[in-house]
Amino acid sequence: MTQESLVALALLAVVAPALPGIVVKTKSLLTGRRGPPVLQLYSDLWKLVRKGTVYSRTTTWVFRAGPLVALVSLLVAALFLPLDGRSAPATFAGDVIAFAGLLALGRFALVLAGMDTGSSFEGMGASREVTIASFAEPTLFLCFIALVLATGDLTLSGMLGTPLAAAWPRSGATLCLVGTSLFVLLLAENCRVPVDDPATHLELTMIHEVIVLDHSGPDLALILYGSALKLALFGVLVVSIFSPRAELSGPVAVAVLFAGLGVVAVLVGVVESVTARLRLTRVPQLLVGAGALALFGIILELR
Amino acid sequence: MTLVAVSLCLIVLAGMAGGLSRQPAAGEMLFRVLLGAGCVTGAVPAVEVLAGGTVAELRFVAAPFGAWVFGLDALSAVFLLAILIVGAACAFYGLAYLAPERGHRAVAAAHLLLTLLITALALTVVARAAVPFLIAWEVMAVVAYLLVVFEHERPEVRRAGLIYLVATHVGTLLLLAFFATWAGATGDLSFAALAAHPPFSDARSGIILALALVAFGLKAGAVPFHIWLPEAHGAAPVHVSALMSGVVIKMGVYGLMRTVLMFGAPPAWWGWLVLAIGAGSGVLGVVWALAQHDIKRLLAFHSVENIGIILLGIGAGALGLAYGHPVVAVLGFAGAALHTLNHAVFKSLLFLSAGSVTHATGTRDIDRMGGLARRMPATAAAFLVGAAAIVGLPPLNGFVSEWVIYQALLRGGSARGAMQLAVLTAVPLSLMGALALACFAKVVGVIYLGTPRDEGAAAARESGRGMILPPVGLAALCVAIGLLPVAVVPPALRVGGLVAGSGAEPEVSAVTATVFALALAASLLGAWLWHRVYTGRRRPLEAVTWGCGFATPTPRMAYTASSFAAPLLATFGSFAGTRADHTASSFATHAFDPVLDRVMIPMWRGVSAAASRLRPIQRGGLSRYLLYIATAVIAVLLYLLAAGRGP
Repeated sequence: MTQESLVALALLAVVAPALPGIVVKTKSLLTGRRGPPVLQLYSDLWKLVRKGTVYSRTTTWVFRAGPLVALVSLLVAALFLPLDGRSAPATFAGDVIAFAGLLALGRFALVLAGMDTGSSFEGMGASREVTIASFAEPTLFLCFIALVLATGDLTLSGMLGTPLAAAWPRSGATLCLVGTSLFVLLLAENCRVPVDDPATHLELTMIHEVIVLDHSGPDLALILYGSALKLALFGVLVVSIFSPRAELSGPVAVAVLFAGLGVVAVLVGVVESVTARLRLTRVPQLLVGAGALALFGIILELR
Repeated sequence: MTLVAVSLCLIVLAGMAGGLSRQPAAGEMLFRVLLGAGCVTGAVPAVEVLAGGTVAELRFVAAPFGAWVFGLDALSAVFLLAILIVGAACAFYGLAYLAPERGHRAVAAAHLLLTLLITALALTVVARAAVPFLIAWEVMAVVAYLLVVFEHERPEVRRAGLIYLVATHVGTLLLLAFFATWAGATGDLSFAALAAHPPFSDARSGIILALALVAFGLKAGAVPFHIWLPEAHGAAPVHVSALMSGVVIKMGVYGLMRTVLMFGAPPAWWGWLVLAIGAGSGVLGVVWALAQHDIKRLLAFHSVENIGIILLGIGAGALGLAYGHPVVAVLGFAGAALHTLNHAVFKSLLFLSAGSVTHATGTRDIDRMGGLARRMPATAAAFLVGAAAIVGLPPLNGFVSEWVIYQALLRGGSARGAMQLAVLTAVPLSLMGALALACFAKVVGVIYLGTPRDEGAAAARESGRGMILPPVGLAALCVAIGLLPVAVVPPALRVGGLVAGSGAEPEVSAVTATVFALALAASLLGAWLWHRVYTGRRRPLEAVTWGCGFATPTPRMAYTASSFAAPLLATFGSFAGTRADHTASSFATHAFDPVLDRVMIPMWRGVSAAASRLRPIQRGGLSRYLLYIATAVIAVLLYLLAAGRGP
């Protein structure tokens, strides 16, 4: 554990809400609009935190716990990422499984909170969320397996840290494939076009937004902040693969990471501007395709 | 071993006290005390052995087919512990669950049979010779059958009982062949003698291992041998289903691990086969579970899934032995043993809570429940813990064992050679996790959350203490194991090392994992307390659920279980085992078991039709039958003469 990685973690928590802003700004500029300011989400969060909460009479403690569990699991998952390119604040053998487990825990909590309202819209969103996650999770594991084979390490800290830098010369092709696959996963897990459209306003067409339809006030702020943080976590995975930073000095490595996160956000904005949303039945095909990329990466590593 | 013997005597005495006492209240009290004492007495040596101690064997020399030996090693101990924990919870629950039936049915006999089942299970895992093992195995099978057909006036229960009885006896028959092939001409059938057998030819070891896989796979309920499992689990009283799903099917797992322990390193094809069956059982089990509306059948299919996960651990372990990677072998078997214990705890918990729910609502169809978290808060909380545990979410016990199995598979990937390919089974394992999450989101959401869909659900009341405490106790155990991997992983590694016959000690960082689990639990708790204070100060408002402007939502508008699962089942197409019936004004979906209903039953029909062709030779005339007998005897004599072994 280095001092830089802790500072970087705090920075990541502060900077995360700017990423959706960058995405929206890119999209607006590319489609010829001015768009909201990049820091819009901070104002939204500040407004929501000061508001009161409305709870449906149908709901129980499960509804109230949902946003909290989702956010806490993401914050704990962030501890396993080597933000300075060397080692993570927390690490143990097989912590990749804990990382995936924490993402699943957050999803389980939000889906149940949605079901707790008894609304058919939220039930629909929950059903779609778990359907897409069922195809995203094996793809995530294919990526992890490829990284285990390339780096010979069972920790996220190693898979994205120093051993990754050593693996680039001999397994560059695999790492490119895994990085691409992870970028598709980023789009799917964060409900971005072509899987889901966060800008849509019709409940029937939404996935993530519709599960949280009944959350309000500080609870909604927790959820919005959690979504931004999740985008940042997946962004860190993608950036870490494409920019092994073990050779750089600590502050430079962290600076490169945040610059990379900006680039990823712009890329997401570009994808959102140039592609349309896929039909729901096509989404599994996209994810299986991304999994196939990672599988090719694994085949290259077999020996 | 003396303590184990005392414990089993106490358990049987408890059953007799519960069954034979003239005064039910006093009998039940005696049942509780004796059973509790018996389970604690038996757990002491099991924990001692798992902590690294040893227990002296018990030998009866003057017995047929070699000495009858009973012993307790780490492998037996982990199963014994599961049997005693789950057995006690199910027996206590059964007292309250069957109480309303007193006077209508043979309740006392059911209690006695349950204690006999626990005893037979315990004897199965401590037997160290084929004959006592087979006797305990058969008693277990028959007693379980008697418990399954407890409500025998219903035809579907009798059908389930028949399927179970046939399946289990096919398994027993194969086990006889298994021991006979292994022992050969020697008369000594003790496990020590079998293990000391000289190495076999490839063909004979192949037959032995294939027989073990089918015989124990039938008991474990691995696909395609699972056909009896959802039927029997659906038909039995719920505390019996809990015991069967929790520990009876685990006897198949025990058998496989004991076989590996006695046999030594199996050939690689066996490891790959176990891995493939594990992946198939796991994925198909959870897909079929998604399609179910009947809560008990749904949980039964999840047992098929979890047996798949356990088999992935055994398969990885066997491959580690075959290819000479002791670390992978130890981790694989350790993960399988730990997941066996964990699944026993959370699956019996889920069955018992489901029993309380069906008891309170009067239906097993989850689409007619809803909103029960408000009406039955304790049962709902226990079920939620079990659901999160079976999905493998941290910081609960399911995560710990899946973490060990994943490590075995991923480390197999870092090895060189053919072993590397085993790492790809981590992908079906992750698919199982994600689908199980979908399935339990559906179950918890449709049963406990939202609004009641039926009068039965609206009128439901929380059960009495006798039906709350056992599931809550099991839930506490799920949390405890999940929070303290450091307490359970080293004993599991001891079991893995014993089965693998290796002293390899893999680095698993159980201590750091414990810190992680505790930190996660502490942050969740802290966040919850903060939220209570924060929102409590602001007086939240109450309103109806947002219906996009529709002001009076009705329960019929809530999402049903079938709609929830529909997108996933559509992706799996004809594997999913669902059928939709629609007319102009109605729509209904039905779930069936593709293997039983599409393969096995048509096959049996075919066999029965072919057999009817033989009817002409069976005319009922005595002289004709005498002719058949004479012909047969002459044919045998001729054969013996020709073989040169005549009289």
